[in-house]
Amino acid sequence: MSQTQEVADSRVDSELDRPWVTIVWNDPVNLMSYVAWVFRTYFGFSRDEAERRMLQVHHEGRAVVASGPREAMERHVEAMHEYGLWATVSRE
Amino acid sequence: MIPFASTGGVCTAIFTQDEGTILASLAGQVAELIEQAPTGDPALGRLLPHAYPDDPAAQAEFRRLTGGDLTARKAANARVIVEAFGAGHWPREVVLEPSDAVRWARALTDIRLVLADRLDLDDDGMPADGADEAMLAVYNWLGGVQDSLVRALDAED
Repeated sequence: MSQTQEVADSRVDSELDRPWVTIVWNDPVNLMSYVAWVFRTYFGFSRDEAERRMLQVHHEGRAVVASGPREAMERHVEAMHEYGLWATVSRE
Repeated sequence: MIPFASTGGVCTAIFTQDEGTILASLAGQVAELIEQAPTGDPALGRLLPHAYPDDPAAQAEFRRLTGGDLTARKAANARVIVEAFGAGHWPREVVLEPSDAVRWARALTDIRLVLADRLDLDDDGMPADGADEAMLAVYNWLGGVQDSLVRALDAED
């Protein structure tokens, strides 16, 4: 197999493997304490990691909180919606 | 009100009759709003947001698969608050096992999302000019109720 072929194959693989992500968006309603608590208890993040991602949502307007198969991301988004957080599914 | 505090996994707070009556009324209205979905009410867009804002077909499929269960759970969460303020003595001590405390935290969020829509809060959380002062006071008070509950839950684990 030629070098060129290997490069081409890896590009195809990365396209197929490109994971889906769960994104949580900033909103003016949800409390910072609540968002950090949801991230920690639902996703199993440490307190520090949950705080870091909550602050990312707060300051940057959004944060990726999970990546993986589409079905799993849809389950996460549905769970976030039950918590009242604004979450979407997209391709990374 | 005496804000939520936790002991041995149980979250407890005390509400006056005025506070409990307002909270139960709002929770009941939110349950009805959710159960009547879909309607043109803009607050529903925030209670049941789009998972795929840029892909109508994927969004329709997501809603088909999840919508019924999610609306039923949200309405049930709100009714847990309604039931806490049924017949009984005032001031009311509310005692929540962990599972009900989580349902309260979710329902308080949904109530605040609906009030934020009614108050037309901007992206910084500031109300529109001429916003209903009484509603704004209730919204801010509910933020404090929820914060105390989250901190009580957070202290437990």
